[in-house]
Amino acid sequence: MNSTAPDIRIENLTIGYDGNPVVTHINATLPGGGITVILGRSGCGKSTLLKNILKLNTPMDGAVYLGRHNIYRLKRKAFRCLKQRIGVLFQDGALLGALTLFDNVALPLREHTRLKQQEIYEVVKSKLSLVGLEKFMDYYPNELSGGMRKRAGLARAMVMDPDILFCDEPTSGLDPINSAELDGLLLELKERFDMTVVVVSHDLASMETIADYVVVLGEGKTLFKGQKEELLATEEPYLRQFLDREGAKRATPRVTTAPLDPSVMKMDCAKYIGDLNSN
Amino acid sequence: MSQAETENKLLQPLTMIGKYFMDMLAEAGAMFIFLMDGLLHIFSSTGIFNKTIKELYFIGVKSLTVISLIGLFTGMVVGLQTQYALSKFGSDGFLGAAVALSLVRELGPVLTAIMLTGRAGSSMTAEIGVMRISEQIDALELMDINPMNYLVSPKLLASLISFPILTALFDLIGIAGGYMTGVSLLGGNSGVYWHRVQTALGWDDISTGFSKSLIFAVLVCTVCCFQGYFTHHRKDGKGPEGVSQATTTAVVMSCVLVLVADYIITSLLL
Repeated sequence: MNSTAPDIRIENLTIGYDGNPVVTHINATLPGGGITVILGRSGCGKSTLLKNILKLNTPMDGAVYLGRHNIYRLKRKAFRCLKQRIGVLFQDGALLGALTLFDNVALPLREHTRLKQQEIYEVVKSKLSLVGLEKFMDYYPNELSGGMRKRAGLARAMVMDPDILFCDEPTSGLDPINSAELDGLLLELKERFDMTVVVVSHDLASMETIADYVVVLGEGKTLFKGQKEELLATEEPYLRQFLDREGAKRATPRVTTAPLDPSVMKMDCAKYIGDLNSN
Repeated sequence: MSQAETENKLLQPLTMIGKYFMDMLAEAGAMFIFLMDGLLHIFSSTGIFNKTIKELYFIGVKSLTVISLIGLFTGMVVGLQTQYALSKFGSDGFLGAAVALSLVRELGPVLTAIMLTGRAGSSMTAEIGVMRISEQIDALELMDINPMNYLVSPKLLASLISFPILTALFDLIGIAGGYMTGVSLLGGNSGVYWHRVQTALGWDDISTGFSKSLIFAVLVCTVCCFQGYFTHHRKDGKGPEGVSQATTTAVVMSCVLVLVADYIITSLLL
């Protein structure tokens, strides 16, 4: 891959909360210029790993290199500069509720650049049109749908033209069409801007569409790291079960209790609405 | 049961009390550091002027009506009660002095601070708390926008400006309220009332009132912002419940601290 975007190197990282490890000894190099998907079941430590890579949490052991910089060893000002080179899309967009879409996207430019108001307007407009939201500049986040908020969050993450883009569960809570659109958007962004993209997800369809490289977490360790094609061809039983969604096929009916007896209800609803099925 | 276990059981209440006080001390220390951080960022923050104007509008301008109303009725009650008490001793002429001194030295700063805790302080906690649980503060940090700088310092500066001004407004309207009941309603002498107000109030009284309001501004703003900022560390509730608990704690703690601080300042300055 001919890219100048930085690699992300994770070395012997152990992450957890209050001294309890969640995932131990993670070693991986997420290739620069590609899309890496960190995959795993809910609660396996994907988002915790992301928070550690972003230095929002402190790991129990190990190191994370963004490019050639160990983020845990960087001095304050150097880390501040590094933060200006990365963009983050949070699960629900994390847009500031008190600001309009325009002000949300303009915020990093206002804080970190000497651009004039007109120039900021042009940049924000171009980023919002990139995600198809240029007509919603004056809307507040609570006036937008979940998918629109995510796209707006993506526009904000992209506004400083970052070298690395992190996305936390970008497709969670979205319908299939919105999910596919967001996947397409990420692929387009990767093509147009030379950057490293890291996506945390449990969405297999999304992984298959966008991933170049995949890291699978589970059972407190790294279960797989490698190219997407290798993962899709794997015969390893746990991964196969995960990829084939075998849980759904093997699932036995769990509802074994009898339906609730109407006589235990406090309100005699049958008196007011009768049987819902009868005319 | 071994002797060690018996001793442990006997010491358990003491351990709990000790832990409670140590936790309280740790929280007070954390709050102090939080305050210092907020104050430092007032001077190092870029664009603090615009953010402070917004906060001034919210804390100051939007509180004008409620502060005026509370000031008016407090002054009216003080006027009534004082006139009643003074008339028993034939000292009706001192009504203006009594109303002015009690409002300027005590009631003005304290009641303004308590009203602002309820109106603006609770909003500060809820706003910052919601931002915390919805990852907006994380987003600010990752955009290299210091949340202290963006959220806390403008509120602190706006509180330092608006608390004394609103206290002054409370005092003025309160004195007018005292006039309405003590003079207009109960037939006191208008000229004597204003003369006593003028002669009784010295610079010491006014500066005491303003010093109190500045200290209350720092207390209320620090407690309310701190509780919101660390909503996610609460043990008694997470998510929206944590925000509501944080808001309750902030309001109760602010009111108690205002009254405790008032007593300490009064005893030191008298």
